[in-house]
Amino acid sequence: MSRVLVVDDEPGIRTVVRDALEREGHEVATAIDGQDALEILAERAFDLVVTDLAMPRVDGLELVRELRKDSGAPVLVLTVRGEEREKVRLLDAGADDYVTKPFGVAELVARARALLRRSENSRAPAVTRWGDVEVDAEARHVRKAGRPVHLTPIEFALLSTLLTKPGTVWTHRQLMTAVWGTTAGVTTDTLRVHMGGLRRKLEDDPQRPRWFRTEPWVGFRFTPE
Amino acid sequence: MKIARARGVGYPASALVVAATIAFLKLFPALTETSAALLLILSVFFCASVWQSGPGVFAAILATLGFNFFFLPPLYTFTIADPRNVTALVVFLASGLLIGRLSALARGRLEQLEAERRDLVGLTRLSQGFLADTNRETLLGVAADRLRQELSCEQLTILLADEKGALTQRAATPGATYRTDMAELAYRQGNSASFASELGGTDIYLPIAVGLQRAGALVARGLKASERMAEACAALLGLAVERERFLSVARQAEETRTSEQMKSTLLAQLAHDLKTPVTTARGAIENWETAAGRTESSRLAAESLQVLERRVTQLMELVRLDAGAARPRRERVSAGEIVEAAVARFGEALAAHSLFVESSPASVFVEADPFQLTEALGHGLENAARYSPPGSTIRVSAAVDGNEISFRVVDQGRGVPAAQRERVFERFVRLEDAEKIPGSGLGLAIARSLVELNGGRLRLGIAEDGGTLFEMTLPIAAS
Repeated sequence: MSRVLVVDDEPGIRTVVRDALEREGHEVATAIDGQDALEILAERAFDLVVTDLAMPRVDGLELVRELRKDSGAPVLVLTVRGEEREKVRLLDAGADDYVTKPFGVAELVARARALLRRSENSRAPAVTRWGDVEVDAEARHVRKAGRPVHLTPIEFALLSTLLTKPGTVWTHRQLMTAVWGTTAGVTTDTLRVHMGGLRRKLEDDPQRPRWFRTEPWVGFRFTPE
Repeated sequence: MKIARARGVGYPASALVVAATIAFLKLFPALTETSAALLLILSVFFCASVWQSGPGVFAAILATLGFNFFFLPPLYTFTIADPRNVTALVVFLASGLLIGRLSALARGRLEQLEAERRDLVGLTRLSQGFLADTNRETLLGVAADRLRQELSCEQLTILLADEKGALTQRAATPGATYRTDMAELAYRQGNSASFASELGGTDIYLPIAVGLQRAGALVARGLKASERMAEACAALLGLAVERERFLSVARQAEETRTSEQMKSTLLAQLAHDLKTPVTTARGAIENWETAAGRTESSRLAAESLQVLERRVTQLMELVRLDAGAARPRRERVSAGEIVEAAVARFGEALAAHSLFVESSPASVFVEADPFQLTEALGHGLENAARYSPPGSTIRVSAAVDGNEISFRVVDQGRGVPAAQRERVFERFVRLEDAEKIPGSGLGLAIARSLVELNGGRLRLGIAEDGGTLFEMTLPIAAS
């Protein structure tokens, strides 16, 4: 059981999110805005914070910045379509993932689950399996449908990076930094080319990726389920 | 020294001065001829410097005659006994004339300098006044009075061209009149004209230039100041009008920006207010389904909510476009990213089709708002999914053609008849046989507005195998 704080100024949304997370077996507290949330967080620790973006008093971005000063608790943000620039800013400020309103409860619960799992064990296991793909990170072996797949060094670095945070989003900048160690000289187009390579080699239908998904204008997400 | 500077006073006054000098000299009979000559020359100098050339020459001749008559023997005759005195008299006349001329010249130069100094002070005062006024109405209202003072004219009129290029009176001193033909000539041809005025002084018609163009005409009647001063004033007025024009453009831009910002904030709030209940309802239904099981009714409710959400989004987009709050935030973005984003975002709608994304040319960039283009291309994908049979192929591609790039969505549906290809871009217009297919008739209208906002074109065509071709074309950004 995990402790989750839900922050939203809309009572309806608070109720829906709380009910969904409680059914998952979590203990849920609610806050009506960022200011309220900061006060609650000062008293108790939470395993996950789910917060709205636009709120009176302290908004989502400010809340994330405040929270990141002394807490590593994962943050899931509820955003609206069209706030893509805002999303990137949030993620770069330390938020861990987002769902876009109007979101499905199943999607929200899946994201929350991915974040909670990650906070439990932050190291990727030596061998990861999903679909018909098997990756042995230490031996650097990749197999699809039992057959060995050859990945370029960049593709392998990209894959091992994605494996550390299954289910959650990566911004372009985060991936560039993780794979190349810098964002200088690397464009999102470069990133797309290598992601294209991964998809061609590992996806069943590279045109319609199931596991290596594009988050438009934000980055990529690895969804192994 | 403002001693009767008026014309005509100089001659009698000069005669008087010379006569007085001679009378004064006659009071001292012991005086030599040389001393008398020197004092008489002095009087000529005085006359020339006060009343200038004409009276100066007159005084010189008068003094020469007087010198001969009163001081050269034999006295009180114009005859000269000693031939040496003839030479003296000629020298006296020459010196008188020369001194008169020189002093008149110096005097004239001084007066010219003084006039120029006054003009400069006047122009400076005017320009200070113009700079202080930032509003055209008050600027012009005050300008007419200021100009009349500085130009010391009887009447002054300022005419400026309106938006249609017609010359209209914008400011004038009370009761001012002018000749329309001359003003038009000054404005249209840039010809200035001046002629003697029935009000005294001159009437002058001058063009008002703003940069390389002409903005209007300045008319001054009964002008006493120099024409050069009037020209300088017209130039200054042109600068003031230009400055005011820049200021008002800047002010307008600022106002537009603020009102656009306000509108887009309000509309974002409205979108949020409309979508929140939809999100809540959708979540509540899903929670309910998890607890009580999925039923036909719950499925219907969930589906209807999705349709509602899409309609709200479209309507909001339309409102934003109409309100002018959809100004594109342009950035350099690669064609590949746009295709990928659109496919990722609208992929769900294509689940029943076989999608084929042709790899787009590497590193072709456009200068556009990435979200608006994604949205527009997304409408193309949605339409393709809606109007072509499940299982058929939808192709998405981006191809370079000269200095443009065309994003294309091609389906294997029945296509849009040529006669309707433009009409379906109108709002709420749908294909006649499309009643069974859900849709609002807004998608294409929105898509076209979005593409055009970003400097592109959007059209429908026919694919090789009869399906619909959705094509948006944008200029390629310079690398």
